[in-house]
Amino acid sequence: MASTGLNSSVRAADASAARADIAIALASYNHARTIGPVVRAVRDGLATHFGSSAAQIVLADGGSTDGTREAARAATGATELVEVGYSAPIASLTTVPYHGFPGRANALRAILETIRRLSVRAVALVDAGIETADSTRIANLVAPILTDQFDYASSYYVRHRFDGLITKGIVAPLFRTLYGATLRQPAAGEFGCSARMADHFLQQDVWDREGAQAGIDLWLASEAVCGGFRVCEAALGVRGMVHHETTDLSTTLAQVVGSVFADMEHRVGVWQRVRQAVTVPLFGADERPEPEAAVPNVERLTESFRLGYRELREIWTWVLPPKTIIALRRLAEAPSDRFRFDDLLWASIVYDFALGYSLRLMPRDHLLRSLTPIYSGWMASIVPQIQDATEAQVDARLEQVCAAFDAEKRYLISRWRWPERLRR
Amino acid sequence: MWEQLNRILRQAGSQIVGYTVDFLPGVLVSLTVILVAFIVALLVRVLLVRALRALDFDRRAQQVGLAAFAMWPASANPSLTVARVVYWAILVLGFLASFTALNATIPSRLALSVFEYVPRLAAALLIVVAGILMARFLARSVLIGAVNMQIQSARLLSLAVKWVILLVTAATALDQLDIGRRILPLAFGILFGGVVLAASLALGLGAKDAVSRTIERQLRDSARQEGDKLDHV
Repeated sequence: MASTGLNSSVRAADASAARADIAIALASYNHARTIGPVVRAVRDGLATHFGSSAAQIVLADGGSTDGTREAARAATGATELVEVGYSAPIASLTTVPYHGFPGRANALRAILETIRRLSVRAVALVDAGIETADSTRIANLVAPILTDQFDYASSYYVRHRFDGLITKGIVAPLFRTLYGATLRQPAAGEFGCSARMADHFLQQDVWDREGAQAGIDLWLASEAVCGGFRVCEAALGVRGMVHHETTDLSTTLAQVVGSVFADMEHRVGVWQRVRQAVTVPLFGADERPEPEAAVPNVERLTESFRLGYRELREIWTWVLPPKTIIALRRLAEAPSDRFRFDDLLWASIVYDFALGYSLRLMPRDHLLRSLTPIYSGWMASIVPQIQDATEAQVDARLEQVCAAFDAEKRYLISRWRWPERLRR
Repeated sequence: MWEQLNRILRQAGSQIVGYTVDFLPGVLVSLTVILVAFIVALLVRVLLVRALRALDFDRRAQQVGLAAFAMWPASANPSLTVARVVYWAILVLGFLASFTALNATIPSRLALSVFEYVPRLAAALLIVVAGILMARFLARSVLIGAVNMQIQSARLLSLAVKWVILLVTAATALDQLDIGRRILPLAFGILFGGVVLAASLALGLGAKDAVSRTIERQLRDSARQEGDKLDHV
């Protein structure tokens, strides 16, 4: 069926209320260049892997002005396209989230509400900005839900060793230690989920929470893990995205790390009880070569850390205990060839910032942004260590980082319970 | 003669007694006012200390930098100092109010003019507190932002922002208090204009080469940053 082109999600969704087994949802915002190939890849994936199942494509567009919706309609062909309308909150239009998608939480909510009306068995949320769309991605996102009765399939992309260092160095280790699931990219924007998972998501109060537009993907992943649902990872190959010039490093770090800390604050009762991480199964093998990426300038990162130590040390003393400040001073004074950030020190710093965030020791934006030079320092240390390493060695090194977060969890719990000892 | 003297003395005595009788109720009232003011001040002090402690005022004052600016005495913490200030303010106001009961012209006028001044004083105090908070917040924002942009003179920028806001705050507060209405804007204008002129001259004449080198370095760095563009998430 061709698109109705209606603005109202209700009318558009009701107009095509035929039951379907699978729904592929696309969230788009000015993706006219990529949405056509993505929709065609979705159609191919559905036809090749789920030919016998009824399927629909759901499109939630955030008010694109470049003809994204028209391009999607043109590429849909015989597959049904349900258009979902939603309004992005004004705040998200003024403060663009790091993923460049204004009103993402509202888009996902509108999609899941529409999906509930369509009574599908499996949903896959696909990013309309993917440049490397192929039919296998759809299969890997939907198959675990449809055939293996998993409730949530988190995306796992093959990424360059220097890509996604916030995820590798903070988000994934924290997620694993806190919630006990080894999801490597929990904040990724694509996922698959079952109908009952979608229902559960809709019942949660995450949608209107402060910071939801930036943190919703991660919050849904933690909701799936903490809600006791069956969770897996789906290998989606290389993550070739349209690069949006949205936010600088400091803003990105503040938004991403802020969303993890906010989630952490809401699930204290859960993460304090988690003792050990469970390995999450991976669906689909990925043997594609490592994609290209820029090489970070280590000298510049080191300088950034030293400047941060010189100027922001006073602010850090609000959050970090004296022994950590001393360790940072040693690091700032170390010559470049011996600049090594200890994993345990890094983990304890992240935990101290999490506690500082929770206690509101200073305006949260200041706190999160002041982490940027320390993150630069950590990058300056990790980049030379993994630059010439084999893939297995890189994985082993990142595993060491995760292990340090595990080892320091007792420290986090004690600080969280007795914050008055924070400054000792 | 003795009779005349006796009459004058009796008249004087009765006048003194009359004045005393007239004056005594006023004294009693004013003593009562002082006593009530003392009790109220004491009560307010105790309640204020408790309320501020419950609100974790000491820690918050330190966080926002109010503690450093207000220069609390080492023996007292912020909540205790605030309570003391309020205690003494109530006592002083009580004393002034007690003067009006004495029916004395000059003290009464003084008391009334002080009472008229109190709202201005409160407004000025509010302006100072808001100015200090804003200066602290913006200075920290500028410092963190400049460090993250790798500007070497981040501290200088932050200090400049802080002192400009504090100067404007001080000028506004003094204006509110009606102190130096004519001189202050003039002095402020001269000072501010002088600073800007000095900075312009320093940059234009003295630091011309340094500025061009900085701009050159910024451009080179931004070009180098293109190469550093990474997807961090």
